[in-house]
Amino acid sequence: MSTRVESPAARPAPLGRTGRIWLGAFGLLIVLGLGAWIYQLTQGLIVTGMRDVVSWGLYIFTFAFFVGLSAGGLIMASGAEVFGVKSLRPLSRIGVLTAAACVAVAAITIIPDLGKAQRIWELVRYPQWSSPLIWDIIIITAYFVFAVVDLAVMTRRTTDPSKRARTLRVLAYIGLPTAVLLHSITAWIFGLQIARPWWNTSLLAPLFVTSAILSGTALITLVLLAARRFDRLDVAAETWRALCGLMAAAIAIDLFLVGSQYITILWGNVPRERAALDLVLPGGSWQWLFWAEWVVGGLVPFVLLVVPRWRTRPVLIGIASLLVLVGVYAFRIELVVGGMVKPLLQLPPGNAIGTYTPGETSFQFDGAYHPTWVEYAIVAGLMAFLALLITLGYRWLRSIDTSEVEE
Amino acid sequence: MAASATKRWGMVIDQNLCIGCWTCAVGCKEINNAPLGYWWNRILTTTPGETTGESSTAIADPASEAIDVPHGTFPALGLAYLPVACQHCEDAPCVKVCPVGATYRRDDGTVLVDFERCIGCRYCMAACPYGIRVFNWGEAEQPVDFTVGYGKDYYSDGRLVFTPDRPVGVVEKCTFCVERIDDDVQPFCVEVCPVGARIFGDLSDPDSEVAQLVEGSGATQLLPDLGTDPRVFYLPADRERNV
Repeated sequence: MSTRVESPAARPAPLGRTGRIWLGAFGLLIVLGLGAWIYQLTQGLIVTGMRDVVSWGLYIFTFAFFVGLSAGGLIMASGAEVFGVKSLRPLSRIGVLTAAACVAVAAITIIPDLGKAQRIWELVRYPQWSSPLIWDIIIITAYFVFAVVDLAVMTRRTTDPSKRARTLRVLAYIGLPTAVLLHSITAWIFGLQIARPWWNTSLLAPLFVTSAILSGTALITLVLLAARRFDRLDVAAETWRALCGLMAAAIAIDLFLVGSQYITILWGNVPRERAALDLVLPGGSWQWLFWAEWVVGGLVPFVLLVVPRWRTRPVLIGIASLLVLVGVYAFRIELVVGGMVKPLLQLPPGNAIGTYTPGETSFQFDGAYHPTWVEYAIVAGLMAFLALLITLGYRWLRSIDTSEVEE
Repeated sequence: MAASATKRWGMVIDQNLCIGCWTCAVGCKEINNAPLGYWWNRILTTTPGETTGESSTAIADPASEAIDVPHGTFPALGLAYLPVACQHCEDAPCVKVCPVGATYRRDDGTVLVDFERCIGCRYCMAACPYGIRVFNWGEAEQPVDFTVGYGKDYYSDGRLVFTPDRPVGVVEKCTFCVERIDDDVQPFCVEVCPVGARIFGDLSDPDSEVAQLVEGSGATQLLPDLGTDPRVFYLPADRERNV
């Protein structure tokens, strides 16, 4: 049945000119990102736009974003098994592949954020069990191992397909809660902090799970669209329908959860919570996040994905998926910014930033954050690395003799 | 030197005495050889009755973003000072989040950072409600080309909890002048305060001045509703004077 996704001519075409440019561009970005990281290692994090008030920035947004992308794919693959969504089952292997790639790159994304990256082994030597970060590292590792095992079972040559199907089913039952846990623990890195009212909501874990399903589905949709365009992959209409429906539902739940938080803060009108919300609401200094999340990455893709005439057109599905990713990324920025720009103590002269520039104050009321080229270069490199992994992984999957692998 | 198990260090700051001169903040920089832009201790301008708790999180009137400007509308003006450094919380959020235990709490209640273990993830800065932590973003810039203050490395329980030469990429903060209190000397901010607004001592000794002030003078804590239970107490400027 999976041959609906795998075109009958099993092997992928050898890399053409487009393919070489594609991979070359990724390679170049990775080299640039590595160069920027080495530069950052020699100077310290002073070459970033972060300071003591907004002390987490682009690296952490991107980390949370990559984690989200990863669980989406696996939730989909496992959910297809557990809940018997037949139209999604053919996507299992691509889902698990992107899950493995995304979670690996997410883990790597933490490294440039560390002030002392060379001490990273201390996480293993002196783990502090009260820290959500330790639990996140454990679940990230577990999740990666799980995805690799799952992928190995899916692609291994076997003479007993029914045994493989049983194993996959068992794995799916493990995979789904693991994925939910991955998101929840990542959310709790933020959500458990009493110092940041914007984060300190029990909605955060459900929000992370929802936005993960949303962004993960969008990523897989884009991968399929690229495969369709460059590899003449044949994807069934019902698969597109399922993907569009899943994304539309996830957008709705996501905005519902974010909206509930807005309403709670607006009605309660507690100063420390209002201060954070007012930053992102229309009229605030970070209002572009509101528009990016609610309109560009919310309303517009939602309409594109639910109007029957539009959701069958691959171009529009592709645009909707891209916008969804923009919206989810905006949500990650909104989370970190809303939590950090307005520290709790808002009294003159403000909060110290930890660096000194002649003629400028070392204190800020509203934390300022402008990412530098170093941060952009490193994040671009990481994104290119992810795209490279997915591209090569896809080609590897396609090179496997599908007639034998598939049920 | 190891922390004394019987002591529980605490500090009381009398806001009725504080004149907002920043001597403690500058003294702190001096004793700790703090580079340019580093403030372990800062003096916030506030108004009596709006010193701690929820109301202190109200956004300051834009006309009063400068220090030393009375808050309020004439004639209802008020001026008070709130010196803020590490609160050495009993239930310290920074200690709970540190993934490697680099930030830890000694038996005497002093919250310290191990300069040799910190991996620079800055999770503690995200977790601290008081915004008192300082990160070494780059190579330290000093106003003078020689070391000032204590000037040596200081180890407690084998851990480097103070160094005048800042390693790039680690977090640091107020240590209650650990190298001094372990030697039975007052923290430097207490010693340099020209009006004696800072009182430091052993909270576990009921006869100590800090313990008596905390017990009998209506002492408050900063952002008490968060439940961090700081070991720094404030005697509010508008309190009933206990003569």
